[in-house]
Amino acid sequence: MAEPGLIVDRPLPVGTAGRRNPGWWGVVLLIASEGALFAYLFFSFYYLQSMADNVWPPSGKPPLPYALGTTGAFFVSGFLMWFAERGIRRDIKWRLWLGLSVSALIGISYVLLQLVDWSNEPFAFNSGAYSSLFYTITGLHMVHAIVGVLGFLAILMWSAMGYVTKDRHVAVTVMALYWYFIIVVWIGIMATFYILPYVTPR
Amino acid sequence: MAEIPTYRTPEIIRPDESYLEKLEKMWSDKPGLIGFFSTVDHKKIGRRYLVTSFIFLLVGGLEALIMRIQLFQPNEHIISAHLYNELFSMHGITMIFLYAMPVLSGFGNYLWPLILGQRDMAFPRVNMFTYWVFLLSGIFLYIGLPTGNGTDVGWFNYVPLAGSEYNPGPGVDIYALGIIFFWISIAAGSVVFIATMMRARAPGMSISRIPIMIWGTLTANVGLLFAVPSVLLVFLELWLDRRFGTDFFDVAAGGHPMLWQHLFWIFGHPWVYAIVLPAMSIVSQCLPAHCRRPLVGQHWVILATILTMVLGFGVWVHHMFATGLPVIAMGFFSAASFIIVIPSAVSVFAWVATIWTGRPIFTTAFKFFAAEIILFVIGGVSGFMTAAVPLDWELTDTYFVVAHIHYVLIGINVFAVIGGIYHWFPKFSGKMMSERLGWWNFWLMFIGFNVGFFPMHITGLLGMPRRVYTYPAGLGWTWSNMVTTIGAFIFAIGVGVFVFNVVRSLKAGAKAPANPWDADTLEWTTSSPPPHYNFGVIPRVGSMHPLWEERLRMDETGKTILDEGPALDEEHEMFGTTIMDGDPDVILKEPGHSFAPIIMALLLAGMFIGMLLEWWWISGAAVIAMIPAMLYWFWPSPEVGRAAEG
Repeated sequence: MAEPGLIVDRPLPVGTAGRRNPGWWGVVLLIASEGALFAYLFFSFYYLQSMADNVWPPSGKPPLPYALGTTGAFFVSGFLMWFAERGIRRDIKWRLWLGLSVSALIGISYVLLQLVDWSNEPFAFNSGAYSSLFYTITGLHMVHAIVGVLGFLAILMWSAMGYVTKDRHVAVTVMALYWYFIIVVWIGIMATFYILPYVTPR
Repeated sequence: MAEIPTYRTPEIIRPDESYLEKLEKMWSDKPGLIGFFSTVDHKKIGRRYLVTSFIFLLVGGLEALIMRIQLFQPNEHIISAHLYNELFSMHGITMIFLYAMPVLSGFGNYLWPLILGQRDMAFPRVNMFTYWVFLLSGIFLYIGLPTGNGTDVGWFNYVPLAGSEYNPGPGVDIYALGIIFFWISIAAGSVVFIATMMRARAPGMSISRIPIMIWGTLTANVGLLFAVPSVLLVFLELWLDRRFGTDFFDVAAGGHPMLWQHLFWIFGHPWVYAIVLPAMSIVSQCLPAHCRRPLVGQHWVILATILTMVLGFGVWVHHMFATGLPVIAMGFFSAASFIIVIPSAVSVFAWVATIWTGRPIFTTAFKFFAAEIILFVIGGVSGFMTAAVPLDWELTDTYFVVAHIHYVLIGINVFAVIGGIYHWFPKFSGKMMSERLGWWNFWLMFIGFNVGFFPMHITGLLGMPRRVYTYPAGLGWTWSNMVTTIGAFIFAIGVGVFVFNVVRSLKAGAKAPANPWDADTLEWTTSSPPPHYNFGVIPRVGSMHPLWEERLRMDETGKTILDEGPALDEEHEMFGTTIMDGDPDVILKEPGHSFAPIIMALLLAGMFIGMLLEWWWISGAAVIAMIPAMLYWFWPSPEVGRAAEG
């Protein structure tokens, strides 16, 4: 019994108390795998772009204001989720409510804006490799955002029922992580589809 | 709903009868069909994985035998060319996907918590979900074959052959959707394995004391976590191309068929290591018990395992040497393919040294492991040969490559798996397998395999391309094909003896003691078969070989303690431990039986069936139904200390 750490003689957190639980690992690993999925999507994009014999995007430069507005909104929601997660650690409920509800609204607006952007695009799903990639990548990202919004709503419901507390808030922590991931992927999408056409020589 | 305390100090006890009875009741499943569909017991999941994947192995084997009859003589027309194409496609899909990884998941699921000194995996319900998804996706992949709509373009599924222009039928759609469905199981399973290894070990099992079998499975699953999205994506792109007219692979519209090959093999080569590294780690774990000594250089073997997986991500282009890539790319990937031989060979040398310096006992399990070493060397050398670009140009798409893949996959995977079954069968079932039948089993399989597959090398060198339906006489291929067919049937008889041995031993085998092989790891401290709760008190681990500490004189640095420990007896409890030191830092509350996994798996099946038939309302309904299903799954229940995950 010489070895330190082998004797359990101190109180241990039970269940999902604190951040020390497998759920956090589960979501981190999910994000790693999903991150790889988007990495392969971007690989598909740059691989096909490098072999293309026309200039991408074929229909001219995309509208920038939409992308910049979405980016700003995502940064606000990312900050609010951080603010909410730090808040619930100290049992400040209003910060949790604010972060979750505003982020959910931003997520919903993003999906709606994206659909508006889609309907304004001069190309369709099946009019060439660029448009296939555009719709597939933004579509998959949108699906992830919808899942995120549903997660926000579920946690809002559960915190209203009193399940989310100072000691048991891992759901908020992992939800925030997942949302940061969605924002990071968005930055990749914005750079690839909206910024690069402006900075690469045509 | 009684709130549980946020913190608790577990009491140190010596378990008595009433305590163990309480645990047994707490951890056992509900009776009957309700229990069957709602269990999340890792031992049941493991057994189901093993049985299901073995059934797929037998089906894939039957397909192979039909093909071998067709190829027995030149100009045969026993089956149609279309059926032949379907058979070799389904044979590849079945063996490589539906057998090779799930069988290893079976070992992993059954054995991990026992080896790690735990009571369950990190996410029992996700774990159960992976099995249902595997089962349903396996059935999904087979719905085409009986109706003549099976995929017939091989398991690589190269475009443009697999595109809608050349292959308008539903076969490729079934393959694409079914395999996306299947990958969900593999990806979720890898999350379960990694989280378990990181967070759910016995106290004291620091990173240097984790037995080697864990490392092989872990490494494979880390690789899969990053490799699976690639193949998931590429099949999604193909399905979109086929059904919605996107242009990922259409050259005229800016796509490129090489995108398929890159994404497929970026996944494909790590996959090869994912289905051999856990099998190799089974050998590394079991062989020493039959040689009466620890594995030689075990830490080197672990490091080599990890290095093999890392390098395995950098060799995919060696499947594409014949596609006209730039010379510099081929040079790089050829060199990487040579280098990967070095870490792969570390295990071989360690096994040989273990046998050489140990006192081997010639059990059936030992024979299978020893044969695995020989077959690995042959398969490794033929792989090494095709890593050279000029030789690969000569040999690609010939039977030489078919021989290579079978030496690697049957040699390393099947032989290790069957050896592993002989080794762990007493633990799985409480019965010993017959060594007498085992002798016949081994020699029939070993001789049959070599008679069957070694001549394929020669067939390939004589120029016979793979996947041809029949061949004319007079090309010198006749005798080697005949020998191959005869060998394949001898091998099949050997597999039949194995199945007979399993069934007979289950019914009439001798009763197994707790540790029949006098092996070294924690699973052998439990009774055979283990109780539902695995360990009455969670062991305190002092070394990598808990049961051999005294004879190895390892008990001075820290002794494994099994009979006294913290009482974790309020619902499904186990420890969460720190990554490096294995220091307990949380009492985990594991979820018990639940219908959520099978409901989610069935909804996914509904979604994919709707996508296949293009009945979008079915898919839509399934997706919408997933929302309440997920709420049900993740519903926080404060009485087991859950907030909203798990």
